[in-house]
Amino acid sequence: MMPNDKILSAQIRRRTLLGSMAAVGASAGLSTLGVSKAFAQEPEKPSEIIVRAWGGSWVDSLKAGVSDSFTKMTGIAVRHDLTEDNEIQPKVWAAVAQGRVPPIHINWDTTTNATKSALRGVTEDLSDLPNLKNTTDLAKPVGLDGYPIVNTYGYVYVLAYRPSAFPNGAPKSWKDLLDPKLKGRIALYNDGIGFHFPAQVAGGGKLEDIPGNMQPAWDFIAKIKEQQPLLGEDPDFTTWFQKGEIDAACTISTNAREARKNGIELAWVVPEEGAKFDTDGLWIPKGLPENELYWAKQYINHALTKEAQQVWLDGLGLPGVVPGLTPPADLVGDPSYPTTEEDFKHLIRISSKVQVENESQWFAKFKEIMQG
Amino acid sequence: MTGSRSKSIVIWAFVITALVMLSAPTVVVLGASFTAGNIITFPPEGLSLKWYGAIAQASDLRQAFVRSLIVATICTLIAIPVGTLAGIALSKYRVRFARTIQIYLLLPFTIPLIGSGIGMMLVFGEMGALGKLWPVGIATCVINLPFMIWAVTASASNLSPDLELAAANCGAPPLQRFLYITLPAVLPGIITGSLLMFILALNEFLVSLLLVDARSVTLPVQIYNSIRSIITPDLAAISVVFIACAGVAIALLDRLVGLDIFLKSK
Amino acid sequence: MRHSRAAYPLTWRVMDVLERLAAAVWPSSFQRGLPYLMLLPAVVLVGLLVLGLIQIGDSSLRTLDTSTFMMSENYTLANYQRALSEKFFATVAGRSLVGAVIVTVVTLIFAFPYAYLMVRTPSSALRKFLLVALFLPFFIGQVVRAYGWLIILGNQGMVNEALGLVGVPPMRLLYNYPAVLFGLVQYMLPFAVLMLAPALTAIPAELESAASSLGAGWVRTFRHVVLPLARPGLVGAGLVVVTLSLTDFAIPAILGGGSQDFIANAIYDQFFRTSDQGLGATLSLLLVAVGSILVGVVFMLFGAGTLAMGDERK
Repeated sequence: MMPNDKILSAQIRRRTLLGSMAAVGASAGLSTLGVSKAFAQEPEKPSEIIVRAWGGSWVDSLKAGVSDSFTKMTGIAVRHDLTEDNEIQPKVWAAVAQGRVPPIHINWDTTTNATKSALRGVTEDLSDLPNLKNTTDLAKPVGLDGYPIVNTYGYVYVLAYRPSAFPNGAPKSWKDLLDPKLKGRIALYNDGIGFHFPAQVAGGGKLEDIPGNMQPAWDFIAKIKEQQPLLGEDPDFTTWFQKGEIDAACTISTNAREARKNGIELAWVVPEEGAKFDTDGLWIPKGLPENELYWAKQYINHALTKEAQQVWLDGLGLPGVVPGLTPPADLVGDPSYPTTEEDFKHLIRISSKVQVENESQWFAKFKEIMQG
Repeated sequence: MTGSRSKSIVIWAFVITALVMLSAPTVVVLGASFTAGNIITFPPEGLSLKWYGAIAQASDLRQAFVRSLIVATICTLIAIPVGTLAGIALSKYRVRFARTIQIYLLLPFTIPLIGSGIGMMLVFGEMGALGKLWPVGIATCVINLPFMIWAVTASASNLSPDLELAAANCGAPPLQRFLYITLPAVLPGIITGSLLMFILALNEFLVSLLLVDARSVTLPVQIYNSIRSIITPDLAAISVVFIACAGVAIALLDRLVGLDIFLKSK
Repeated sequence: MRHSRAAYPLTWRVMDVLERLAAAVWPSSFQRGLPYLMLLPAVVLVGLLVLGLIQIGDSSLRTLDTSTFMMSENYTLANYQRALSEKFFATVAGRSLVGAVIVTVVTLIFAFPYAYLMVRTPSSALRKFLLVALFLPFFIGQVVRAYGWLIILGNQGMVNEALGLVGVPPMRLLYNYPAVLFGLVQYMLPFAVLMLAPALTAIPAELESAASSLGAGWVRTFRHVVLPLARPGLVGAGLVVVTLSLTDFAIPAILGGGSQDFIANAIYDQFFRTSDQGLGATLSLLLVAVGSILVGVVFMLFGAGTLAMGDERK
């Protein structure tokens, strides 16, 4: 729906990839489907399944990598619901609570949000997906039983910056955001997500103290407030960089890469204090008819094949959960595309359980500082 | 006369400022839709129709637009009788607890849209009606109903009780008095109100978001969702197509009934 | 032709039947109940919202358990305590209330001349133009419209570039409180004009010419003739603007740069971001209460607006 020249050329590239993978994918897919077929009669196919996805280049890459090949393989059309992840949540929860069929088959969700749904018990268990055995540890949600969610890739909240605003070289520390020159020229997420943990380190605190004592983080955030940061959501960062409103931001690398695709000069680093690493995943809400549940599971299973992951994550520029993926050319050795143990050492990962249990307080505290 | 000249100057100063405020973003978006680049800018980077080509391909947008039209029609059809009756009742009769009733009827404005959305999602969900279009039509009608009522009451000052009394004296029975005297008097209000209701329903996204699913999504919800990822010029192009459709509708209306009917004092 | 033969046209006959029907269904002894019957459909329709409010009221009395993300079984007032004691909510509430009042006053100041010109101009072309200019912005979604403002008022936007030509360094025109108020005014303007126009239409132009022929200047005519007669419209438009801007979500979210939240944004965060339906419901109910009280106060101060014309108009 939103072709632009760069995406178009990327799509052509993807299409050739798709072509070459169709053969492999089909055989791989068939074999997994074949296995289940041997044990049980294949349930009736629905005419379509609905996958919630983020719009723009996000849904384009999911379609190219997973949905199109799934349709080719099974004949089941895939419809993408572009409702935001946090806006679909109350709809799904209400549907389950009222015993209705949920409005979507599969939710592409942040692991934190998905964990809330899992704790609430509205997710189907996915432990029996055959392709899970080929995945890395990253696929398994931390702190939950079984697989109510399958993580499908990771991402980093980097410090993205405009090189022209940093004539003395790349920023090394989150504290560099306190430079008076940057007053009114920096941006954070409006709930502070991605920034709480590095702020804890930058404020002189320890990660082990999370969630017990986060005063250092709040002190640091209070200093950042003096810099009058803009606060927004994913698309805002891309827009603000493009329109010259900001010079630096704590954001997911994908947003900065999107602006770079549009010809804006941008770079990003993982500062010395570290950067937050988190994951997104797929899950299925409870309450679907038996046969639709089966095919929804097949979709997620398909999303875990190496071929699907390669194309999908090429579009997003993010590291996946099956071994042996090739990073996109512009991201080889990039700190936002961690692959080795060494890369992960600089990243901060906090279990999603701790996050969801404390998130609303962190959020409230951040808002209190920023809105004061 | 100097008096009337200073009056004109003051009025025009305000009106021109208001016109700039109303139209500036429209002009920018119009221009931006013809850009050859990939981001919305003004003036556009080179001229091209490529974003119009992009949206012409999208059949889901057309379907969503048709759904929006259906929703807006349902909303208006409900609003006209309900709002007109309520408006006349409030303005013509001495109603006990009028203020309380008015505060109650203003609930759609005092409840934040998110609250209304969540509430109606639960109510319609309980009824098993979600996923259809009529609940969305009703919902958009409810949240904007005060506009209809108030448009009618505002024009009810046209209503002269003497005229009705005169008609009654001449032996006109109640229904005739209603149809031939009351109704024509408030007609400008009804038309303004229903046009407003239609347009607002056509563009509503926050409450609809909670009531539609992927198969019944309306155009504003679809646009709202796309914007959440990134704003590209195709959204400007959609807006322009939307404006063009509105333009045609307004021109048609003008030919058929005459736009003056909205405001002409008798 | 043929119809003229009938001394009693068909439409009259139909009317008679309807009239008799109406009299049978609703004998004149019930006359006093008539206005209530006319109000009934609206009351029922708004009742849908009340049903929703009851559900919301129920969740406002439950707290969120973040280990299961379920609402508690038992009732508690904890959410209300939180909403009323935390400084953050007071800040946001204050900002929304003050903002709504400023926006209302400014919007009415601009809407009044606009509506007046639109109603009074002898040129039907001008009238049409003004009317169309009012309606067109509706067709560009609020969000895209806000994006238009970013292009106009942004750091590299048209206004700053123009200022740059005369040597003024770029300044931040967006993402602050005035930007939000400005955004709300331009969003509310069409509503206010459309609410005012019918009321102005109802004021006979002859009254004004009479006043001026008696020697009153236009300012005096305006103050003593037009404004008082337009009061119902002003109160109506004012109520629409004040309640809608008090509960608005999109404009503060887009033009506020994230640090200018209104109450609706805090409610959105509770419902959609932290999944705390209880606190979100509590804030919604408090907002409804504040809004309704505000409406009530306006009624007491200015009369019940348009609907009170029967009693209060002189």
